[in-house]
Amino acid sequence: MHKIKTFLSVESNQNKIIPFLSVFLGFLIGAIVMIVSGFNPLEAYARLFEGAGLFGNVRRFGETLVLATSLSLTGLAVAFGMRTGLFNIGASGQLLMGGFCAVFIGITLDLPKIIHLPLAVSAAMLAGALWGMIPGLLKARFNVHEVVSSIMMNWIAVWSVYYFVPEFIKGKYDTESATIRNSASLRVDWLTDLFKGSSINLGIFIAIIAAIVVWWILEKTTFGFELKAVGLNKDAAKYAGIHVNRNIVLSMMISGALAGLAGATFYLGFTNNVKIGELPSLGFDGIAVALLGVNTPLGVVLSSLLFGVMNAGKGFMQAATRVPNELVQIIMAVIIFFAAATQLIRLIIKRILRVKNVPIQVTEPVIEEINGGEK
Amino acid sequence: MSKRVIALVLVVMLMGMMIAGCSTTSTEKTKVGMVTDSGTIDDKSFNQSSWEGIKRYEEEKKTIETSYQQPDNEAETDYLNAISDLVDNGYNIIVTPGFKFETAIFKAQDQHPDTTFILIDGAPNDGDYSKAEGPTYKTGDNVVNVFFNEHEAGFLVGVAAALSSETGKLGFVGGMEIPPVQKFGWGYVAGIKYANDNFGTTAEVVDYIYEGSFNNVAGGQQIASGMYDKGIDIIFHAAGGVGVGVFSEAIERATNGQNVFVIGVDADQYEAGKLSADGDKSVTLTSAMKSVDVAAYNFIDAKLAGTFPGGETIVLSLADNGVGLPAENPNLSADTIAKVEEAKQAVLNGSFTVPSTQEELDAYVK
Repeated sequence: MHKIKTFLSVESNQNKIIPFLSVFLGFLIGAIVMIVSGFNPLEAYARLFEGAGLFGNVRRFGETLVLATSLSLTGLAVAFGMRTGLFNIGASGQLLMGGFCAVFIGITLDLPKIIHLPLAVSAAMLAGALWGMIPGLLKARFNVHEVVSSIMMNWIAVWSVYYFVPEFIKGKYDTESATIRNSASLRVDWLTDLFKGSSINLGIFIAIIAAIVVWWILEKTTFGFELKAVGLNKDAAKYAGIHVNRNIVLSMMISGALAGLAGATFYLGFTNNVKIGELPSLGFDGIAVALLGVNTPLGVVLSSLLFGVMNAGKGFMQAATRVPNELVQIIMAVIIFFAAATQLIRLIIKRILRVKNVPIQVTEPVIEEINGGEK
Repeated sequence: MSKRVIALVLVVMLMGMMIAGCSTTSTEKTKVGMVTDSGTIDDKSFNQSSWEGIKRYEEEKKTIETSYQQPDNEAETDYLNAISDLVDNGYNIIVTPGFKFETAIFKAQDQHPDTTFILIDGAPNDGDYSKAEGPTYKTGDNVVNVFFNEHEAGFLVGVAAALSSETGKLGFVGGMEIPPVQKFGWGYVAGIKYANDNFGTTAEVVDYIYEGSFNNVAGGQQIASGMYDKGIDIIFHAAGGVGVGVFSEAIERATNGQNVFVIGVDADQYEAGKLSADGDKSVTLTSAMKSVDVAAYNFIDAKLAGTFPGGETIVLSLADNGVGLPAENPNLSADTIAKVEEAKQAVLNGSFTVPSTQEELDAYVK
């Protein structure tokens, strides 16, 4: 008990456990809601996890990974922006433009898979980066807030796709594109067979590599250090001789490229075509993923897995127990709420464990003194 | 201390309720599931009618239990996942309303050979339009495809619209340009022509627009506003959620005293056209009904009775009561109702065949 108290009295440790505590509280409140509405929460949660393939159904687990893949990439996009002081709310638009370019290449070109697929994925990345660059440039040159400009870019993406799809890659109906060629699909037979016919695809490797690269840039390179410095204090960074404006543009481009990759995994791996008139919610869900993952690559991967499990299992849960799948939305909302309300959780930790907030690691005697003082 | 006692009591109560929740008993019932397409289960149209048919069977026969799935997105994978969520939980009969399920059912019929699928408004195919001969169609023994003669319903509302219009100007709003919607439209135009030829009206279709989706409510309202401004007084919508916008515009104008009407689609949409929840006035002139609920009901019954027409494509017509007008049409005059009935008899006894393709319509209207 004493050790726990010592651990929890350090703020950086509190930050580590807050996401886990939020998840716990989310499930607890979900359980209370179920009890109040006459359902059995243990049964429902068991079915939820069964539906997500956590009890050994390989095909279902594959679907969970698919749902987590695109989310982890949009989560990385948002997290990367956050770490460098930018709120990239335009991940949806970057994803859509990236996805559209990938699908365009996937339909119009006829190449062997070894060239076609990398080409389509690179196109998505490039298009996403370009779509992210515009708000970056506007911010750097004219000090236009990136939230405003990237939301605008979202709608420009939606309506551009609305026009381009029926014009250039029309499918059977006006509202959707044709289906991509097999040579541009991220789905490969060995993965599909390995996961017993699930829609899992190579996108999962893209997501893993992207997470490692983001971690490497942020933690191991001078460039990443500069980006973070700009994020933490623009003026101080400028004073230290860092090109603030250049870094803003580059940071938005990397964030956009990650969102573009998410578009590649979503459209080349999951839907296989583009529908017009809708802005994919994945980009906005990425904000929640990044928040819960405290903007770290590992955290984003873990929280996207949680989102994947919840989304993959909710239909099964509803079919098995009649608990409406909207309940999963409630749980997710509660989790995000607590993840965002870090101060509130700190307060709860302090009240329950009666620990005081110590901003830096302290030695044992000091803790003794603090505890002694409280008695 | 007292706080901890209360906490303990609460935890014990919680556990008790969990255990109590476990003890549910159920008798052997066939599980019937449904997956919705782009709309919601309460879309006042296609999904809702199918679901009502299933629920009615559950209430009347009490031999089935039901559940539905509403996928987050409209990708084929979403549909397949929703279907397997149901199948893995023992659902033996699955109703899928809408052509969007064609490719998903094409795969699901082989993945789940022991499950029965009722596909409404579609025929399973692989969706590969790049081949010269078009997509491959295949309907397994565990699938029945149900189609409707929408043009016959469109014909009847066309006659009714021509007879009821005061300005003689009529409009049509379609959703996506897909066969069922097109057929409603062709029948509508043919019905107006029929009324002009046989009942001495001089109505014409001034505007004929496909919105391009089934869920753009604002778009529907905008189109309707443009049409009513042109002097069109009756709009037939075959547009799902887009039609909700058409109704909003009509209700707004009718509340301000303008004499405008909407013709509903799929289900009897009289309620959807009410000016206020408790009032008895509605802007719904009549509705081109498609008995999706009857289809769901009948084929569930066929499956349970062992007479399921697996592998077949069934077309429900006016003669089968598969399409038609609602039983009650408070906004139609007695004279109109009589003349519509006359036109209906002409279709039923074969003296008039409603055009069901663009070519047939062109030939008739010429």
